[in-house]
Amino acid sequence: KPQQEVTTLRLAHALDQEHGVHKAMVLMGERLAHYSNGTMQIEIYSGGQLGNERELVELLQIGSLAMTKVSASSVESFVPQMRVFSVPYIFNDNAHLWQVLNGKTGTELLMALQPARLRGLGYYDAGSRSFYSTNTEINTPADLRGKKFRVLASQTAVRMVEELGGAATPVDWGELYTALQQGVVDGAENNPPSFYLSRHYELSKYYTLDEHTAVPDVLIVSLPVWQDLTPQQQEWLQRAANDSIVYQREAWQQSSDEALAAVKAAGVKVIYPDKQPFRDAVAPFHRSLQQTDIGPLLQQIADIGAQMEAKND
Amino acid sequence: MTKLIQVVDSLLKWFLAGLMGGIVLVVCWQVVSRYILNAPSSITEELSRTFLIWIGMVGAAFAYRTGVHLGLDIVTQKFPPAIQRRLALVLTASVVIFAIAVMVIGGGNLVALTWELNQMSAALGIKMAYIYIAVPLSGVLIAFYGICQLYFMACNKPTPAVEGMH
Amino acid sequence: MEMAILVLLLVFFGLLLLNVPISFCIGLATLATMLLSVDFMPAVTTMAQRMAGGINSFALLAIPFFVLSGLIMGRGGIAKRLIECAMALVGMLPGGLALVNVMSCMFFGAISGSAVAATSAIGSFMLPEMKKQGYDVNYSAAVTAAAATTGMLIPPSNILIVYAIASGGVSIAALFIAGYLPGILLGVSLMIVCAGYAKIKGYPVAARLPLKLVVQKVAAALPSLFMIFLVIGGIVSGVFTATEAGAIAVVYSLILAVGIYREVNTTELPGILMKAAETTAIVLALIATSSAMSWILSYEQIPQAISAAMLTISENPLLILLMINLILLLVGAFMDMTPAVLIFTPIFLPVAVELGMSPLHFGIMMVLNLSIGLVSPPVGSVLFVSCAIAKTKLEAIIRPLMPLYLAMFVVLMLVTYVPAISEWLPKQFGF
Ligand code: NA
Ligand code: NA
Repeated sequence: KPQQEVTTLRLAHALDQEHGVHKAMVLMGERLAHYSNGTMQIEIYSGGQLGNERELVELLQIGSLAMTKVSASSVESFVPQMRVFSVPYIFNDNAHLWQVLNGKTGTELLMALQPARLRGLGYYDAGSRSFYSTNTEINTPADLRGKKFRVLASQTAVRMVEELGGAATPVDWGELYTALQQGVVDGAENNPPSFYLSRHYELSKYYTLDEHTAVPDVLIVSLPVWQDLTPQQQEWLQRAANDSIVYQREAWQQSSDEALAAVKAAGVKVIYPDKQPFRDAVAPFHRSLQQTDIGPLLQQIADIGAQMEAKND
Repeated sequence: MTKLIQVVDSLLKWFLAGLMGGIVLVVCWQVVSRYILNAPSSITEELSRTFLIWIGMVGAAFAYRTGVHLGLDIVTQKFPPAIQRRLALVLTASVVIFAIAVMVIGGGNLVALTWELNQMSAALGIKMAYIYIAVPLSGVLIAFYGICQLYFMACNKPTPAVEGMH
Repeated sequence: MEMAILVLLLVFFGLLLLNVPISFCIGLATLATMLLSVDFMPAVTTMAQRMAGGINSFALLAIPFFVLSGLIMGRGGIAKRLIECAMALVGMLPGGLALVNVMSCMFFGAISGSAVAATSAIGSFMLPEMKKQGYDVNYSAAVTAAAATTGMLIPPSNILIVYAIASGGVSIAALFIAGYLPGILLGVSLMIVCAGYAKIKGYPVAARLPLKLVVQKVAAALPSLFMIFLVIGGIVSGVFTATEAGAIAVVYSLILAVGIYREVNTTELPGILMKAAETTAIVLALIATSSAMSWILSYEQIPQAISAAMLTISENPLLILLMINLILLLVGAFMDMTPAVLIFTPIFLPVAVELGMSPLHFGIMMVLNLSIGLVSPPVGSVLFVSCAIAKTKLEAIIRPLMPLYLAMFVVLMLVTYVPAISEWLPKQFGF
């Protein structure tokens, strides 16, 4: 009896192994091995050892890596439509976000990866991003005025902070801890687990849950690799990915809650602001995007939100 | 051939001096715009990294030309001169092979890929291909200098030195 | 995986011994290894991407800056003033000029990022002076070489930046502050050896300068020494980051050299810029090809295998650390510092962390260890520069270096087994 060949998919990401996302990927590997009767396996490279998020996507295009998980904001450079997630306050709440991601819009966005030689398998939850600051309590957009906030080096992210009134300062993630400590910047923005795991809470006394953006993570496979798989193998992989997505969403909620509890215990003042002034502050920004290429997409998302609200009333 | 080398040398030297001066100005502007003007520039960080890639890649070609890359000659210096000369040919050829295979073909493919798939840089919003093109360019320069050197070795003539360095 | 290790080592050392430039040895060894498991086109494209990606880092910008400011300071009369200041402070002690040499190297090291820059800047002033006073030329060259290595630990330091990159995110500011105590400790131990040696050899002692003159010399060096406060003060107070400090150092050294001391002409600047770009590119080329190598190492999961193997040899942390130190000393004998840090950090750091060592402490230990390599034969850039300036042979300066090696080794053991030497000061600054 000839020995069956095992298909190994190499998956790399930039988070450390303690992160819930990594655990969800381990589960995906287990499920894939189970569904395929051990004929397929996933080898995981964590901690950015094979490159940062943008570079990992590039490796998928080059063909030396099979899979990755990156933030939707890292995909912006490849698929401009992904910019929508960096626009603040386009979702009414978490339910609205997932209605969009799991619906037609979300699928279309995943399909938009195809021309870039990528295939999206689904979305992982990456929560909502909020501001944290070293010295000033942020309650309203006015409190951001003149303060330097670190943002991701993306034009939409820079615009987002500027529209809210802050001074957007691109700082390398590796330099950010020191930049916060020495006062090069007054604050930054991220989701609760990253705020906690980066230990930035040791330096930032205030965490304002304004939840300005919800940028999901995207699970991607290289299109040539995907096309090399048999339809059966594709189905197994998609099923394993779906299992891991379900697991990850639960794990995310839990680690997000734990992170918030931990930073509170460490003495961080967690502020729950009235979001309306923040939403009002970005209204002109939303209007200015209507005529751009992501205008129709923003309209779709807004329509879905309106339908959901109508149903609830 | 000597004339051509001198023209390329001179272009490279001034290009590198310009990049070096530019990178200092860009980072100084980053500090001034953030600390003094309180209006942090959003492009200086990426711009300076781009300059650095160009200095590293194009500068590596220039450093290859001036012969200052670190090497280890404790073994080869014990060989008789005739063997040393033949070895030098093989070794120059191996550098040329690396430059062509990895930097010109690999780097060229990377540029083509990022161009065709239209990948944009995050802050500057320019095509990533413009940043990556430093790699194949450097490969072409190293291959050019290596082939010139092979030519002069074959003719048993010394390779002309770079003017004004060392 | 065994095959990959074998090919990597064979190609690398084969080409290295045949005098291929190290960047290309690393590149070709990586290419050969990668072709074992990846097709040609993805392999070369991935390598090209890793090469560009490896130097696409904001933190690395500090290297061209400190190289450039080092060049300007060497030509701009800054080194000369630092030496005169050191002369006024320690010239009258036994072995005065040797002590002046060490102290000047420490001062220069405290404002420049490179040991080679310190050797050439201080050596070219000090060696003729020491010869005039009857010091043995070989001994003088040995002292200059050993003392120049203090600048690797005393910030700013390019090699600490390279380590920060290779370690995947140790704070450069924390590393800079951590380097002070070990660097000063190293300098002081070298000075003790020099003083003892001078007593035995009966080297002349300079006359004590009148206090007024001492004050004058120190005052003349103050603008140069102010650079230390500018760089470190600016980082600690949040005006600029450790990387941006380099650009500020360039501007400040330009103001001193061109504007105040007037020893550098503006027409010389393009030449200085070209030279700085060339020196920077050597380091960046190494980082670029090493990034490709570390990618294939990770891809084949080699560092994990090596660290697992090391941890099975012994459970005793003291022994494993000693073993790591001995391997690094051997590596440093043959390899220059930058490639050694880039190649061995991903391999040994996980082992050290497993043993409970902080990445900060490990970095200081590794850099100190490889500093010894800078002055150990057969390959040592600082050794070479010092020999060239003294116009002496490599073999001749090994003997006088012996007691200095011993002092360096003692400091290395102290730094390895007493974490507080590296960690206490950064803790005081809240790291
Ligand atoms: Na230094
Ligand atoms: Na050595």
